[in-house]
Amino acid sequence: MHLSNQQTNPSRWQGDRWCDFVQFLKEQGVKVREKRIETGVYITDAGGLALGLPHGVVIAKNAQQISILMQAAQQFKVPVTTRGGGLTTEGESVAFGGVLLDMTGMSRVLEVDAEKLTVRTQAGIFWHHLAETLRRDGLDYLSAPLNLTASVGGTLGVGGIDVNSSKHGCSADQALSLQVVTPTGEIIECSDDEHSTLFERVILGYGQFGIITEATLKIRPYTPLRMHYFYYSSLKICIEDLLRLDKSQTCDYTGILTMMDTAITLLVAFDSEEREADFMGGMKDTLRGYGEMGFALRLAASFAWRPWKWKEALFLLQRKRELFPDLQPAHHMQGELMYDRTAVFSKAVWKHWGDRHMVIPDLASNADKFIEAVERGNAVCRKHFPYYTLYCVGIRLRDEHQAHYELSSIPSDARGWAYGCEFEPMYHGQEYSRDTLQSFKNEIYDVGVALGTSYYRFGGMMKGYIRRALGDAVVEKHLKLKQEADPAMILNRDVIF
Amino acid sequence: MIRSVDVVIVGASLAAAAAAKRLVDAGLETIILEKQKLPRHKICSGILSPRGERFLIENFGALPNKILHEPNTCRGVSFHFPSMLSLSMDFFGGPTPHLHRKYADHWAIKQSHSEVMDETSFLSLSQDDDNVLVTARKKGGDSFQIKTRYVIGADGPVSPVLRSLYPSYHKDIPMFFVGQKFHEIIDCPLDEAYFHFWFHPDLGHYTWSHARDGRQIVGVGYKVGEKFHDRHRYVAKYFEEKHGVYLKPADTDHEGCSENFGPSLINRYVFGKGRVLITGQASGFLNMIGEGMSCALHSGAIAGESIVDAMLRNKAVQEVYRKKIASEVRRTTDQWNPLKIAFSKPHEADFPKALMALPAKDRLILLRDVWHFVKLYKEFKWGRQIAALSMQRLLRGDYAQKKWL
Repeated sequence: MHLSNQQTNPSRWQGDRWCDFVQFLKEQGVKVREKRIETGVYITDAGGLALGLPHGVVIAKNAQQISILMQAAQQFKVPVTTRGGGLTTEGESVAFGGVLLDMTGMSRVLEVDAEKLTVRTQAGIFWHHLAETLRRDGLDYLSAPLNLTASVGGTLGVGGIDVNSSKHGCSADQALSLQVVTPTGEIIECSDDEHSTLFERVILGYGQFGIITEATLKIRPYTPLRMHYFYYSSLKICIEDLLRLDKSQTCDYTGILTMMDTAITLLVAFDSEEREADFMGGMKDTLRGYGEMGFALRLAASFAWRPWKWKEALFLLQRKRELFPDLQPAHHMQGELMYDRTAVFSKAVWKHWGDRHMVIPDLASNADKFIEAVERGNAVCRKHFPYYTLYCVGIRLRDEHQAHYELSSIPSDARGWAYGCEFEPMYHGQEYSRDTLQSFKNEIYDVGVALGTSYYRFGGMMKGYIRRALGDAVVEKHLKLKQEADPAMILNRDVIF
Repeated sequence: MIRSVDVVIVGASLAAAAAAKRLVDAGLETIILEKQKLPRHKICSGILSPRGERFLIENFGALPNKILHEPNTCRGVSFHFPSMLSLSMDFFGGPTPHLHRKYADHWAIKQSHSEVMDETSFLSLSQDDDNVLVTARKKGGDSFQIKTRYVIGADGPVSPVLRSLYPSYHKDIPMFFVGQKFHEIIDCPLDEAYFHFWFHPDLGHYTWSHARDGRQIVGVGYKVGEKFHDRHRYVAKYFEEKHGVYLKPADTDHEGCSENFGPSLINRYVFGKGRVLITGQASGFLNMIGEGMSCALHSGAIAGESIVDAMLRNKAVQEVYRKKIASEVRRTTDQWNPLKIAFSKPHEADFPKALMALPAKDRLILLRDVWHFVKLYKEFKWGRQIAALSMQRLLRGDYAQKKWL
């Protein structure tokens, strides 16, 4: 298979008229930080592979300031790269020259409406900060990425999946309305009813059509979690059970977490005692997973006569010992109930999945192709790394939001649910070069092209895949829209197009 | 006043372009010093592996036509043996571009957006804990100095930068000469879509032929000391007699260069000292089946990344570079590792598959031919070292770093 001719590591912008631009902004009261000590901290993202230095950094303060910045950027043709938590993995939030707009300067919750169950927040806020604020009023967000140092604005631009996305959909689908600064500097409030075309493009739009400065999100009453784990030794059977569970809508949270393809855990959880009781009395008996003890014995038996795999067995044992206590920490548990799942999951993610390189290619497919996508991706992981982990989750789609999903992580042929699987190597102290990791990612993405799936991490260094995966027609259509909305093509310019 | 920059790269090669791309993206002030005037000529088959093509596209964009030779693609490699068996292997993923190095290198260098000083020779360097002082000379001018935080030597097999660090290095390794002559074609049955290579001990250590811009190249490689024209005549005669390749006498534009073939076979790479990094072929990366440019590009990029990383994390650059380069060493040395060749496809063309497609009897003949060819290299005493490395890779999962300079 051949890569279409596309440069995926952008050339650095060369700084034409930069000084005039900075002077112009200064006169308008917008401060640009240019010292290397101020710009250097933004040199890479969570992927840690793309390294790019901005010419200057602007810390976001309010929509008016960003509006001035964007008008000037259009006039001087200076690229602007937005960044929230910087959790991109393909360099999408790395500025190869130009301005880096740090959105974390806008991180206040503006208004909580406990009756209508909505929150208005600035978009640079991190999810864990939003969760803490909502918790004071006994409220919670619907779904957010497990890694809670993602910003709200960044997440709405790409999707955001949680273990309850099979019930509530992706994070981007929680947004009711947004305040957006367009690439030409207009400040517009948009929703399904007002400026709906802009809303369609900004949601899941990879930052191409505007900068989200404020968002109104749906929220819900806070509930502690009742968790159960089932263990599998076959990816296929576990995924089949996951698909059935989601379709039955009997669980509030579902997902698969694996250690390699040997120890596969199906996680289910509930918001209420009634839902839990219904499940335990019904669907539970149809699941083909084992309990912890039964699975451990089975695994021990299968490793016993395969001495060449004992190193892997030791890894599984060690990881179980380290990880499991952190997924049920005593100070967050009251009996069987887990409180503050946001804190628990976020901490566990950084501790047990975090590394200097967050290399997590993924495949997003419809339910029919999902098993094959995971199995083929798993084979790629096996080939490249001695240790790795997979994370699979369903995403409930909103029929009325079909237009939002065009050119996004949601595959165009998915109806009802889409499914995502992340493939994450565990380095175990081993250093890998950028190209080694990139060739691993390329192989995963190739599987996506072959199967006609989409991707959650959909930009930066892998933008060459977009045309191959989604076809020229849809990309050309959006490119035209982008050119109209952003004549100088300066906003997050190397992410998609 | 002495000019002060972040990085000086010596040599305007593909390795240099890759390193410069990483450094310039990260906002570091980078200068490339090149002895010749750009675009400069470069002896090379121009056969690129799929991984190399991918790197060029991902980092420098679509390849313009003017940087390609005719035929502008290559399907793969064809091996020929004294028993007159032939084995053709296609690259995984389809044909790759046939690069015209003179223009391809210049294009990649321009795409990196680094500052370039051509017709400027590197003369010497001295380093302390914080900086390197590089002395260079512009053609026809006086020598001058540049103060820099790091130096990358991407200056090829006879690397002057490497020599400035280890003056006797090149005397301690076997050096080879490869030379090629260009012939107008009368009749050539060799498929022009492939790069042809001969496993024939009588012909020399490295014997090849392929089509370029309407002419046929006849190339020979051997240990330094023998006579180019004699070797070439012998090979051309062999082609005519055995393969029916009828060529006009060679044109006058023949060429040749020295090669440090060897370090990648026995894991004796050299990566520099202190703030000076050696990369590309200078460090010993060289490979068969179109891998030469690919490992130059990747090792160059790793050198660039290592400097950015070292600055970012305030670490010693050699330590960072040696950790990062291990994967490229693994990949390159795997391609010479008999166990890997037999069992895990380290190359980007499928040798075991092509071999298995032959009848069993031919397979044995071919393996016997390979064995006779390999014996040609006996004098270098690499055999045991390669066997030991193969076992090391099998048991430890990696190659030791102790033998690196």
